[in-house]
Amino acid sequence: MTATTDPVMLRATGLGRRFGTLWAIRGMDLEVLRGEVLGLLGPNGAGKTTTVRVLTALIAPSEGRATVDGLDVTEHPEEVRARVGLLTETPGLYDKLSATANLEFFGRLYGLDSETRATRIERYLRLFSLWERRDDVAGNFSKGMKQKLAIARALLHEPAVVFLDEPTAALDLEAAYIVREAIEAMRRSGRTIILATHNLDEADRLCDRVAFVRGGLLRIDSPRGLRESLGGHRVEVTLTTPPSEALVGVARSVSGVLTVENADRRLLVGAARPSEITPALVRALVAAGAEIVEVRERVRTLEQVYFEVMGVKPDRDEGA
Amino acid sequence: MRSWILATILRREFAETIRNRLLMSTILIPPMILTIAPLALAGAVGERALPAQLAISVLAQRPEWGGFSSSELAGAFAVQQFLVFFLLMPAYIPLSIATFSIIGEKQARTLEPVLATPIRTVELLTGKAIAALVPGVLAGWVTYVVFVALASVVYGPHLFGVVSDASWLVGVFVLGPAVGLSSVVAGVIVSSRVNDPRVAQQIGGIVIVPIIAVTLLQATGTVLVGAVGFLVFAGVVLAVSLVGLRIGVALFDREAILTRWR
Repeated sequence: MTATTDPVMLRATGLGRRFGTLWAIRGMDLEVLRGEVLGLLGPNGAGKTTTVRVLTALIAPSEGRATVDGLDVTEHPEEVRARVGLLTETPGLYDKLSATANLEFFGRLYGLDSETRATRIERYLRLFSLWERRDDVAGNFSKGMKQKLAIARALLHEPAVVFLDEPTAALDLEAAYIVREAIEAMRRSGRTIILATHNLDEADRLCDRVAFVRGGLLRIDSPRGLRESLGGHRVEVTLTTPPSEALVGVARSVSGVLTVENADRRLLVGAARPSEITPALVRALVAAGAEIVEVRERVRTLEQVYFEVMGVKPDRDEGA
Repeated sequence: MRSWILATILRREFAETIRNRLLMSTILIPPMILTIAPLALAGAVGERALPAQLAISVLAQRPEWGGFSSSELAGAFAVQQFLVFFLLMPAYIPLSIATFSIIGEKQARTLEPVLATPIRTVELLTGKAIAALVPGVLAGWVTYVVFVALASVVYGPHLFGVVSDASWLVGVFVLGPAVGLSSVVAGVIVSSRVNDPRVAQQIGGIVIVPIIAVTLLQATGTVLVGAVGFLVFAGVVLAVSLVGLRIGVALFDREAILTRWR
């Protein structure tokens, strides 16, 4: 079974998976290009792990179909698994075995010959700064080191696509930083990566596109595209007193203004290009008798977009 | 079934078993005791004789012991009780290894990365089953060989003849592996539902019940199971194990492990 030259590395069509009577995901249509980094975002139980498991041919879809590198996950599960690397939610290392022995075991399961195994084990242990600890048992490693070793395991057979399920969950700041650096390195090397995460900042920084998932695919776009599609930027005008309805109306009347929200002593004014509306907005408000304390441009965060897409009302100060 | 995958699984299973001190002590210590205890008991019986009624019952079932002196008959009867203990090794060692192995992987959540490789679940299950079965069966066989060698040296040809007759050979070399298989099957089934190896061993220990029953029957002189009896026993155990194996294979399914094992 050979890989295709299709620019689409991963394709899902009407993908669904049911457990008993409950659909974990349903009607998922998705295409991921070669070399793309896609983030899967959603709350607990949204179906992120199920999506990853179906796409890695660990479990079969209940309906629809999915292909990885041109191979159907239902018809060619072994070939699909040979082409994907998976970092599971927990590292899942053999604690009594050394770092080398852990990688040796998986290298053998992937059918790598002894020379290739030795070369790649050294390469990835050096890449993740674990070479000096190669003979230590994994049980003695810190959480960050375990996660790095698990990433090395996922890359050992040089998969066409890597799935990372919550790679920085439960890690301290330093360990999370190290793991993000490792993901950055994979991204720079042009590998296709699917990143299931709760960490919106991580997704914003690392992903080319972000897919919001809850029982299916709610929305997919680049982080910038998502922000702009929901109002993008806003101008925050702080006043000495709470704005009147008349003042809100004045703000709305300014050319280029898309939305106006009244928030305590602030006016939150949405616009596609805030710098172009700000002078006219300030002039109009002052002319209407407003006493302005501060004017700032606010960029909508991915977190705010997430809350809106998920139908949860975000706090007005989010992202401030 | 790909042999290199099986070899990979076996290599890792053995590497982990060797590093597990508790497991290694349960594999190594009882065989040592079982090698020495029967011979010590035969020595302790010394010049004592069996009660007349029991001696008649024993000789009725084992006419080939008719040429023994009364003390030799007592020694032979005492040592005969220990045959079933040689079946305990292939019963409890595979059970211990299988439960530690499967529940250990459940607790450490190491199965998902393994199942994400091109391995087939039947290869994983077979590898685990062989890794659990072999040490128990080998322990039983090696202990038996050492035991027979010591018996021939210490107690001479009569006792050697008793411990190397057809009933012992069938018991150790045929029934032993069958009991081992049933033990592995019990380990797989119970481990899929339980998260503590000790609990799994207690539940899985049900496979030892028939062996205990035979022990009691032999100890009272009610039945001294011979080669044919052990062959029939092995056939029944094997049949039950094969039925259990079908259940075990169904439980050891990739989707079941990932979505239902807790």
